[in-house]
Amino acid sequence: MHTMTRIVTRTMMNITLKAGVLACTAALLAACNGPRRISERPIMYNGDRTPSQDRIIAGAAAEGYSDNAMLTQARDSVYAKAVATCRGTVCASVVKGEISLGMTPAQAMAATRTAPAAWTVRESGAATVMVPRVLGSSPRDATGEVVMVQFDDDRLNAVSYRETQGIRVVSSAADTTTDGRATAMADALIREGDQFNAAGDRVRALDRYDRALALKRADAMLEYKVATMLDLQLRPVEAQIRYQRFLQSLEIERIQARGQANAQLADAIARAQQRLIVLERQAPASAPAPASVPPEDQMMSVPPGSR
Amino acid sequence: MTNSSTGTLRRIVAFGLVAVTLAACNNKRVSRVDPSSVTDLSGRWNDVDSKLVANALIDQTFSGPWSGQFSSAHGGVPPTVIVGSFRNRTLEHVPIGTFVKDLERAYVNSGRVRLVASRDERSEVRDEREDQQSNASAETRARIGKESGANYMLQGDVQAIEDAEGREKVVFYQIDAFMVDLESNQKVWIGQHKIKKYIDRRRVGW
Repeated sequence: MHTMTRIVTRTMMNITLKAGVLACTAALLAACNGPRRISERPIMYNGDRTPSQDRIIAGAAAEGYSDNAMLTQARDSVYAKAVATCRGTVCASVVKGEISLGMTPAQAMAATRTAPAAWTVRESGAATVMVPRVLGSSPRDATGEVVMVQFDDDRLNAVSYRETQGIRVVSSAADTTTDGRATAMADALIREGDQFNAAGDRVRALDRYDRALALKRADAMLEYKVATMLDLQLRPVEAQIRYQRFLQSLEIERIQARGQANAQLADAIARAQQRLIVLERQAPASAPAPASVPPEDQMMSVPPGSR
Repeated sequence: MTNSSTGTLRRIVAFGLVAVTLAACNNKRVSRVDPSSVTDLSGRWNDVDSKLVANALIDQTFSGPWSGQFSSAHGGVPPTVIVGSFRNRTLEHVPIGTFVKDLERAYVNSGRVRLVASRDERSEVRDEREDQQSNASAETRARIGKESGANYMLQGDVQAIEDAEGREKVVFYQIDAFMVDLESNQKVWIGQHKIKKYIDRRRVGW
């Protein structure tokens, strides 16, 4: 009886021990697979104080004030020097804030209301070039964003502006006028239109030619380009009107045209007249037939630079 | 149990109930504390986060070269900034205005940046100006067409990542702000601040 009890007790103890070991192992395994407890040290506790903003602002204000005062002083001294040495139209341009040909570097700076800190100046013999020190934050005059100013013998001979259609260079008195600017912008738009046309994007090409035409009214070849674009986009009524306008405007153009330009115009005239006949014949039809689409090689034979 | 002892017990219970009720009535405590003090209660976005973000962004914006470069290219004239949209891309309610206003205050008070009224603010000003055209005397009338155009727009967003297991939770906030050139779309400055919070909701603690 006693032996029996001992065996039962031992068996029970064994089972309990094994169960304990198993439970411990399971707990360890579970712990291995569970989330790790975060043991990072906090950097801020309840009751701490956040730093004051006023000190940062005061520091920035003091620094900014001294920088701006220095720049303003430099700008004002450049302006005073520019005004003291200018004459006539240059003086008026400085006051209006407009860079004009014949200015000195100081006058160009005064016209853009800048100090020497805004520019990088490079000199080579009699030639001087001024470019903005920071790209993307270029100085401006009344006309636009200035990207380069060139001087010859300390007199401004060319100024370049960054405009929507690219860089516009002003190097003659004609370029500085409103008409000169409009012509330069129209030329840039025509170049852009030619690029779109070459890439097969006729909608954008027509848009650029149309915009150029608003700036350059008396350009027969531009009218011809618009007409061909409309013709290629199967807009016969508008194309017809444009071809007619092109031919009407030629009365003046024919007198003005010389040499090679005259020959190219004659070619365009012949093509416009042919297309007018075709379009006029098609006019009664409600919609243009696919057969009426002119071959592209015939339509676009006028090179972009033939104007 | 006698009648007298039952009565005494009833009185004690009634007295206890009255005392508890009175104590409950008096449980509200209001006190003014220093606005710069750190007071984290729930672990959600709070005033401390807003202040930390504002401080970091103010510090970063003035240490960046963008405003100085603009000023030097324009003869000491500071850049003009308009505050655009600051988006809250978290699931939590984050009042963006608190730290954006801190940033605006820093810009104006430092004198290094000029600030123009945002889209929402200027409509009221325009209405008033419009009203002045017909009602104010000629010499005191605010003129039309003299608003300052901004050079840059301040934009940004707040994003959050949460991770929780049991009673533990980690919340990570990332606040990005950037200054965009209105002509060229170039980002001339990017500010960033990150906040990581560990929230442990223990059942027993001291």
